[in-house]
Amino acid sequence: MKKTKTTKKEMKKAEKACEISKALLDTKIKNTWCPGCPNFLILDAFKRAVCELVASGQKKKEELVVVTDIGCNAKIYDYVGLSGINGLHGRILPLAFGIKSGNPNLKPICFGGDGGTYNEGLSHFLNACRYNMDMTLIVHNNQVFSLTAGQASAVTEQGFVEKTHPFGIKEKPFNPVVLALESGASFVARVSALDIIEMKRVMEQAISHKGFSFVEILQPCIVFHNNSDFLRTSTYKINEMDFENALREARKWNYSQEGKVGVGIFFRKQERTFEQKNFEWKLRKKL
Amino acid sequence: MRFNILIGGRAGQGINELANILSRVFGKAGFYVFNYRDYESLVTGGHNFNILCISDKKVGSFDYKYDVVLALNKETLEIHRQNFHKNTLFIVNFSEGKDNFIFLNANKDKTENMAFATALCKILGIEKNFLLDEVKKRFAGKSMLEKDIEVIEHFYSKDFEKEIKVSHEKTIKIVLNGAEGVSKGAVLSGIDIYFAYPMTPATTLLNFLAKEQDKIFFAYTPEDEISVANAGVGASFAGAKAMVGTSGGGFDLMTETMSFQGMTELPLVVYLAQRPGPSTGVPTHTGQQDLLVACFGGHGEFSRVVVAPGNSKECIEKTNEAFYLAEKFGVLSIVLTDKHLVESDFSFNEFRIKEIKIPERKIKLGMPGILFRRSSYEHDANWNNSEQISDIVESFEKRLEKHKMLEKEVKKLEMYKIYGKGKDLVIGWGSTKGAMLDALDSLDARFLQIIYMSPFPKEISGFIKNARNVFVVENNATGQLSKLIAQNTGFIVEDKNKILKFDGRPFTPQDIIDELKKRGVK
Repeated sequence: MKKTKTTKKEMKKAEKACEISKALLDTKIKNTWCPGCPNFLILDAFKRAVCELVASGQKKKEELVVVTDIGCNAKIYDYVGLSGINGLHGRILPLAFGIKSGNPNLKPICFGGDGGTYNEGLSHFLNACRYNMDMTLIVHNNQVFSLTAGQASAVTEQGFVEKTHPFGIKEKPFNPVVLALESGASFVARVSALDIIEMKRVMEQAISHKGFSFVEILQPCIVFHNNSDFLRTSTYKINEMDFENALREARKWNYSQEGKVGVGIFFRKQERTFEQKNFEWKLRKKL
Repeated sequence: MRFNILIGGRAGQGINELANILSRVFGKAGFYVFNYRDYESLVTGGHNFNILCISDKKVGSFDYKYDVVLALNKETLEIHRQNFHKNTLFIVNFSEGKDNFIFLNANKDKTENMAFATALCKILGIEKNFLLDEVKKRFAGKSMLEKDIEVIEHFYSKDFEKEIKVSHEKTIKIVLNGAEGVSKGAVLSGIDIYFAYPMTPATTLLNFLAKEQDKIFFAYTPEDEISVANAGVGASFAGAKAMVGTSGGGFDLMTETMSFQGMTELPLVVYLAQRPGPSTGVPTHTGQQDLLVACFGGHGEFSRVVVAPGNSKECIEKTNEAFYLAEKFGVLSIVLTDKHLVESDFSFNEFRIKEIKIPERKIKLGMPGILFRRSSYEHDANWNNSEQISDIVESFEKRLEKHKMLEKEVKKLEMYKIYGKGKDLVIGWGSTKGAMLDALDSLDARFLQIIYMSPFPKEISGFIKNARNVFVVENNATGQLSKLIAQNTGFIVEDKNKILKFDGRPFTPQDIIDELKKRGVK
């Protein structure tokens, strides 16, 4: 491979990005995730994505607001140096709806788990896809309630055994990607937590997208639902496609621990946002 | 002299609008007026009615003895027959041929109600222009306006051979609806966001605010009450002055979010319009059964304001105060009303409103260079989540200190009002104020209206100590205000002195007078 010399401009840009990284995003808070938890990878990817967006001038640091649920994933509130609110379990999307209504110049980036998003907050998830407010939802889907010690969620595979279902859960999981597409989400993606580069790329795209962007991150929970081997060997890259094909592709995997899992950006469209439709006058007003 | 007018018919016949028009016309003509609205939980059909009570003296209630009846359908004559007297005059649009009946013989179209209005005004000797002005203002630009004016002119020129003189003052009275009052109070306070989920009787406020909107603030109905409440907190977090609205059942759904507010200390105003419960209860009627849930709903311990206005002017002032206190202390402020208060129209001789300027927030989310953070978890001084003993204690002590400051500040506002003279003391709150004040003329007693429920005006102990007997009048079955009084002053109201009405209807002055006289009040 031909190696090109890094230009001074590129060097400066990279330095600026690193500076921003250090100043921006490190916090002194002691991390309480299990050592080896893929949440560390997600945090890393997120920090890189934010650095790039801020360094390139696409977003300002003060525009970004982290909105987190309750659960292991949500501790990210303390681990990233951005303004934020640690909300109620399952209620981050209406919380973000309020933030956006209050000041539409802010960009809420919501972090939830599968429990908060697909159990407690399912109605809010479907409606958020429908509203199309300019905000991002990143779901840490480890197919289990981790912080409360391993209960099955609405997207856990059939047959999964845990303390509250000692004979295996009988119900089948939802398919969140299909739900998001059917509910009208204007940006739908799914990635694996084991691929930092792809996570960063998709997060950047999602946060830049003007409208509601949904990024589902499939991650192993190394304590309660460790499907690392499955995720490591079963994913394949998909390319952006039109709506009907995206739906077809999304239906291919049923959230069991079998088969092949398509990862990438499924679908994207530009549509007038909720703010543009409902309070355009606020967008023009300086808040 | 009180004069009661019944307007009755099917839902969908425009009874409420007719009563609305008439009450404004009476106000312009110098009458004090009170407009009570009664409707069922359906969309069309059934039976709806309004009772307008007009007088030359202040009036805040009505009586179930009708002097004039506008019967828009025959059923009205059946349903209300117990409340007619021998001189009751009936205005109808079907031939009855009886004495005391005025048969309009008007067109049975959309102008029919205007014929009723005109006949009534003519009989009461009210100037034609008062009615014309109100109708022109209300229906400006509407296609029916010309036809309505024709009908008014036609029926004013008729001689109904009946003339009733009801004395009234000359000065104009301002007529204001309860929900309209809350709406004006919110707009006055600079409201940015209103979220609500449709629920009787809170929805009327949404209708008033929607009219005032015009690019000043944003109102919306999200998917459910939990969304409404969380969106309210979110908007406040983003720097907006936010209010959310609901009734008892919806408030129950919001209580986890009330607790969230308590931890995050983001200003939030809640409009709670009560109706009888428990559960779905009686959706279109009135009650005061959610006082305790308003004061204590939401797990954990956190500060809040609960304020209960007693008429539509107080609705403006107390809503303004609610916003003020919410902003100043980062506290939850609940404006506690009920169906009788928010669906009725009240009239006032003078209308000076004591307005409080809302303090601007100095630090807001989105300002460059600052990290603005809040959490539902217990936290340290920088809003990092924490389980440390020192952080928990410090956090709690700060919130307790804040409550002390809130208590001090509220003392500067009118936390209660006292009326009348006498050895006996009658305590009440909210929408019972109207009937209570009207009854006071016939009683040798003082009326103590509690306005602030949280923080509670403990100094009312003084009034209690000096009273011969203490009575409490409430629209609930278990005497919730009595419980608050006991908690805050140590005084236990005797069961026999609790005057409780829980049939979904408001008190009339006669109800109160009868109950008090039975108990020895002169």
